[in-house]
Amino acid sequence: MRKIKGKTNTTEKEFVFEFKAGRNHCVLKVPLEFPVKENVSDLHGRLMLLHKIPCFVEHDLKNRLLAFIESETLEDYNRDAEAALQRLTSGEVDINKLTNSWAKAYTETTLEHARPEEPSWDEDFADVYHELIHSPASDTLLNLEHSYYVSVSELIGERDMEIKKLQERQAAEMDKVMQELGKTMSDQDVNTVASQHFDAQQDLENKWANELKQVTGIQKQEYQEWVIKLHQDLHNPNNSTISEEIKVQPGQLAEGGELGAGLFEEQQQLEESFTIHLGAQLKTMHNLRLVRANVLDFCKHRHHGSSGAKLRRLQTALSLYSSSLCGLALLVDNRVNSYSGIKRDFATVSKECTDFHFPRLSEQLEVVQQVVLYARAQRSSKQKEQPEMPKNGTTEDKNKNIERNSSNILPGEFYITRHSNLSEVHIVFHLCVDDNVRSGNLTARDPAIMGLRNILKVCCTHDITTITIPLLLVHDMAEEMTIPWCLKRAELVFKCVKGFMMEMASWDGGISRTVQFLVPQSISEDMFYQLSNMLPQIFRVSSTLTLTSKR
Amino acid sequence: MQALQGAELGAFTFFASPLPHDVCGSNGLPLTPNSIKILGRFQILKTITHPRLCQYVDISRGKHERLIVVAEHYEHSLQDLLKQHHPVSSEKVLQIAYEVLEGLTFMNRHGVVHRALSPHNVLLDRKGKVKLAKFGLYHMTDHGADVDFPIGYPSYLAPEVIAQGSFYLSEGSVVEAPLPSGPKADVWSVGMLLFELCAGRQLLQNIEISERLKFIITLGCMDDIVTVLAEEHGCLDVIRELPDNVQTLLRRCLMFPPSKRPTPAQLLEEPVFVGVASLYPAYQNPVSLFSSSPRCAHLELPEDLNELCKGDGQDYLSERTVDEVYHLWCLAGGDLEKELTNKDIIQSKPPVCTLPNFIFEDGESFGQSRDRSFLLDDTTVTLSLCQLRNRLRDVTGEAYYPLLEDEHCGLPQSNSSTELSAASNLPLIIRERDTEYQLTRIVLFDRLLANPRERNCPLVWKEARVDVPPLLRGLAWATLLGVEGDIQAKYDAIDKDTAIPTDRQIEVDIPRCHQYDELLSSPQGHVKFRRVLKAWVVSHPDLVYWQGLDSLCAPFLYLNFNNEALAYACMSAFIPKYLYDFFLKDNSHVIQEYLTVFSQMIAFHDPELSNHLNEIGFIPDLYAIPWFLTMFTHVFPLHKIFHLWDTLLLGNSSFPFCIGVAILQQLRDRLLANGFNECILLFSDLPEIDIERCVRESISLFCWTPKSATFRQHAQTAKPLSDGIGIGRPLAYYSSDYHDYPDLPNTDLSREPLKLSELKAEVSPRISSEDLIDLCELTGPAHFKTPVKRPKTVKTKILAVDIRSAEDFGRGHVQGSVNIPYGSACTPDGELLQCPATHLLATHKGRVIVVLSNIMKNAATFAAHLVKLNYPRVCVLDGGMNKMKSTGLLTVPSPQI
Repeated sequence: MRKIKGKTNTTEKEFVFEFKAGRNHCVLKVPLEFPVKENVSDLHGRLMLLHKIPCFVEHDLKNRLLAFIESETLEDYNRDAEAALQRLTSGEVDINKLTNSWAKAYTETTLEHARPEEPSWDEDFADVYHELIHSPASDTLLNLEHSYYVSVSELIGERDMEIKKLQERQAAEMDKVMQELGKTMSDQDVNTVASQHFDAQQDLENKWANELKQVTGIQKQEYQEWVIKLHQDLHNPNNSTISEEIKVQPGQLAEGGELGAGLFEEQQQLEESFTIHLGAQLKTMHNLRLVRANVLDFCKHRHHGSSGAKLRRLQTALSLYSSSLCGLALLVDNRVNSYSGIKRDFATVSKECTDFHFPRLSEQLEVVQQVVLYARAQRSSKQKEQPEMPKNGTTEDKNKNIERNSSNILPGEFYITRHSNLSEVHIVFHLCVDDNVRSGNLTARDPAIMGLRNILKVCCTHDITTITIPLLLVHDMAEEMTIPWCLKRAELVFKCVKGFMMEMASWDGGISRTVQFLVPQSISEDMFYQLSNMLPQIFRVSSTLTLTSKR
Repeated sequence: MQALQGAELGAFTFFASPLPHDVCGSNGLPLTPNSIKILGRFQILKTITHPRLCQYVDISRGKHERLIVVAEHYEHSLQDLLKQHHPVSSEKVLQIAYEVLEGLTFMNRHGVVHRALSPHNVLLDRKGKVKLAKFGLYHMTDHGADVDFPIGYPSYLAPEVIAQGSFYLSEGSVVEAPLPSGPKADVWSVGMLLFELCAGRQLLQNIEISERLKFIITLGCMDDIVTVLAEEHGCLDVIRELPDNVQTLLRRCLMFPPSKRPTPAQLLEEPVFVGVASLYPAYQNPVSLFSSSPRCAHLELPEDLNELCKGDGQDYLSERTVDEVYHLWCLAGGDLEKELTNKDIIQSKPPVCTLPNFIFEDGESFGQSRDRSFLLDDTTVTLSLCQLRNRLRDVTGEAYYPLLEDEHCGLPQSNSSTELSAASNLPLIIRERDTEYQLTRIVLFDRLLANPRERNCPLVWKEARVDVPPLLRGLAWATLLGVEGDIQAKYDAIDKDTAIPTDRQIEVDIPRCHQYDELLSSPQGHVKFRRVLKAWVVSHPDLVYWQGLDSLCAPFLYLNFNNEALAYACMSAFIPKYLYDFFLKDNSHVIQEYLTVFSQMIAFHDPELSNHLNEIGFIPDLYAIPWFLTMFTHVFPLHKIFHLWDTLLLGNSSFPFCIGVAILQQLRDRLLANGFNECILLFSDLPEIDIERCVRESISLFCWTPKSATFRQHAQTAKPLSDGIGIGRPLAYYSSDYHDYPDLPNTDLSREPLKLSELKAEVSPRISSEDLIDLCELTGPAHFKTPVKRPKTVKTKILAVDIRSAEDFGRGHVQGSVNIPYGSACTPDGELLQCPATHLLATHKGRVIVVLSNIMKNAATFAAHLVKLNYPRVCVLDGGMNKMKSTGLLTVPSPQI
């Protein structure tokens, strides 16, 4: 709550009305509460009815009532206004503080008084890029991006090769050392060799990491410069060299049928789509999709050769600065880094291709880490300010946790990274979950579910129209995740998401969205179909439109 | 509302402040977004019409809590006068002061305070008269509580306003909101404005805002504020030379203590304006349509009637009211957001650039920089009417002033009339978006509805059969429902405040009724809902509140949002017509009878479906009660209800049956394919229904239904025809003869009431002898009160089947009837026995089959049998052949030789 409605001090005043009926002198006294909220005509009607007032004084009563209310209200206004002025002269309110808060209000909320905007390179580039990608130049842009991608992946290949070679060599060396162990070599020697190996490996990796960083940095700079230049050239076409290039470029979007490599991979992907209606009377239409895939499939780039990869790439590029973004929810642990597990895998994927628009993942995570620290500080200072805030046991537990390490995040909280270099996704929500999600009795009040709700809310406020959610709230299956466990979890998430989507309709007026439910690659086909049977029972699937009517 | 005249339409936009994260209201439901609150509070501003105020027209919600307000607009303002940098003459100053105060007085009377006066909000129309703009901003934002920005401009804020503090707070801290400002705050602003005009320059322009405000506050210590201001701005000489009355005026306005400052109304009465006041006649509020006083009371015709005919001659569009012009502007492709984006008022950043970095579990976000595009830019953009005028270029003057007395006056006789009548064949959805068509319809309905009701009623009915223009739907429905009289006084006299036991239920239902709609979900909407519902409950002591009444109220309230009295009156007229006695405390007999008749109607129109539904036990009681109790308002969204009711209101009380059957038929395939459980699921959340098709089909079903088939003993009994209403009756809706209203007075040939159990036992509806006579075109002796014959559109759509024995048949039967003796009609396995008569039956499948017999039970069983065999449109003659005998209309075949 930021604003609290002012205490409007209500006062009661008595309205007196006298009239003569025949020889009787009648007096009507009505206590009225000020400020008057109800409709005067209603009040008048009620008085007439309640006190059986003769109709010949009807108009008189109404006029007097109106006049009374008007004058009394005015008096109240006067009183309040004078009191406010009095507070200033008496020094109860500091005049400087007051005027400064007004000044702040004007400068922070109105364009007229706001400080002029510093030009932001990011946004200018966004405009330029958005314009170009929607022009014939888009093909050239994509090809350029692809060629950069190819060179990076060559580099990565080289790196992997070299690391592999090193590892092989080291393994051989180690073998030799092990054989000599006890003969000419002592344990000490083995340890030394091992640490040497380790250092060598580190050095190599660092070297490559640096190289990659440098290359992508150069690529990014080149790319951005080129885009700006291209944009300028397109606007004064006289001295254009690049725009000529574009004209010469044949449309390469229609690709050959090089289906080879990707085919096997994609066969394993199962998916089913549904169109649903939400709402009791006014219905809004949404698309749902149930997909069995690896979560990183939405991020990984494929070579242009593979089917549809370039089209997908174009689609993602076209919508990057538009108001129909694609998001993905990634389940992570409570540390903001990319050292282990799915976070590491994701980081690897995000490095496969240079991000020409946004900072590198590591840089973004650094910013997030700063923001988390700042947010925590804000929170705790606020909590100290208002000790009367109701605290229940769980929040206190949490507070202890935070105090232990305030740079960590808690279940249900999430951070957001932005990417232009992933294949089908612009926005990644890193939702923190704990081991609780593996348990069988997750409730709708669980932080992870609340996190989903907030993700959907951000989707609303930031025009993310396609969002992919892990249906079972896990990325990999484990022993304890039995069929009943899966069904129960899927039902919970389906139902909660349905509720949130209905709520969303009131936030944004019911814009049509696509929600993709992702299930791990490792669940059985049978399980998948069970889930896909469950979906239409929870969501109302729209009927097929019959174009030929029988009647 | 006033005519457009020389005005333009203007739009400006602002953002409502976002709600705090995850806070629920006291009733546990999510909070209403501030933009919706504003939208609800805005509505009343549309009714504030005064020549000194810019008429508010519309408000619309955009993405992310954006609001766009449309109002009358003028390009010139006091700002332009100030830009000339020399003092304005004192006469002019007095006039401007008077006009501004007139406007302020009028809005104060409606409880509205301006708070945002500034030179650019005091507009000047083409004649140089003042028009106040943005006068409702303070009101609609709940005294600034629903927006982030402060309302008002620093230089013009009254000292007490400054002292009470601003709403805006930096993140986090909690501060008490300032108390609302009173009318006197505006008088100070007027004083500053007038001072600027007198001095010919703007005040306090080059100082920091906080210094400016400090200066205003410290004026309180000065003896002579006007002199101090003049000295500060180096224009003491100019001010000194002003005439005394202007100086007095300035001093009165710039009176520091609010208690000594006059209100606008008081100021108007002061002697300074003696010379000016006489120039301005008092403004008369136009009398509303439903009023006890004569509307022509203040009408003054000029001496020379030709004066009236003088005009620019060509620009008919500007004679239409502002809201009509705006409506047409929208139809002609107007897009508010686009207009504002073109003028760079709406600037949006790509959403990917404005994402937050980190979000707490409770939804609070961090790491988002303040988006500049959310800052207030309250520039008003003029909406160009060029496109609309272009579109309407070819519409002739006759279209704007149609002759209603003309014999075929439906559409104006102009060059475009053929085009328009062609347009009237297009689907409704297209017609409602067609600019020219809507223009002619609006003009026509406007004329019809504004005229004396009795005379134009038939015309309204006739035109409403074509369609009802959305803009005037509220009034058109009121006319169709026969609402008249001083409804406002009636409504005011009802006690809507005293607590009654129903309150709790109403309170629970309202936040669940059509809440997808912005108007009805706004707090204002809820208040109005409550009042109208309570008024209805209180004023109908014999009836009670049943859940569903709220849905029933919704369309009326939506259409007459600013006129609760009319909403109440329409609802009160609607319920006895269509839902007579449905809201009795014990309504089971009414509903049971209704549902039984409904299931007979299903059997009558769709025997196959009826058989299936009966077989799986999916009876109307399970799904149709909310349909009929709320007249479908519970199941459809408002925009569909409008189209449905446009037709429903023209039909009689049995039309809803046909709608019900039409809905079932649209879902026919799915119902037939499914069992009980699936059907229940299907209806628990009714799928999308194509409403135009539903309307079309229900009309055709209605035409096929003999009028007595839907006879109900608990229906409203026909009132004796009074003459006044009688004239309004040549209203047969559909081309068929089945006359809608009133349900004709009973004669001995009408249907007689049946016990519910008996009614329930019969699968097919009974029809009266009257209907039979009518359908078979039997002509009888003149004394029979058969309805007046009209040319038949369908040759014969009836087949009478006489199931008496052949002998009885021989003794006298209805002309054209077929004899299938009951005893020998069927084979043991349920098939009809093959004979010429049954063959005839089979070949005439699809016609209305009337089963005639002496014994009702046999007839009913036979009819049920036919239904089983999927014969549609089977009905039974009520009272049997005995009733027919008394008419003397039976024919005896000449003995065969």
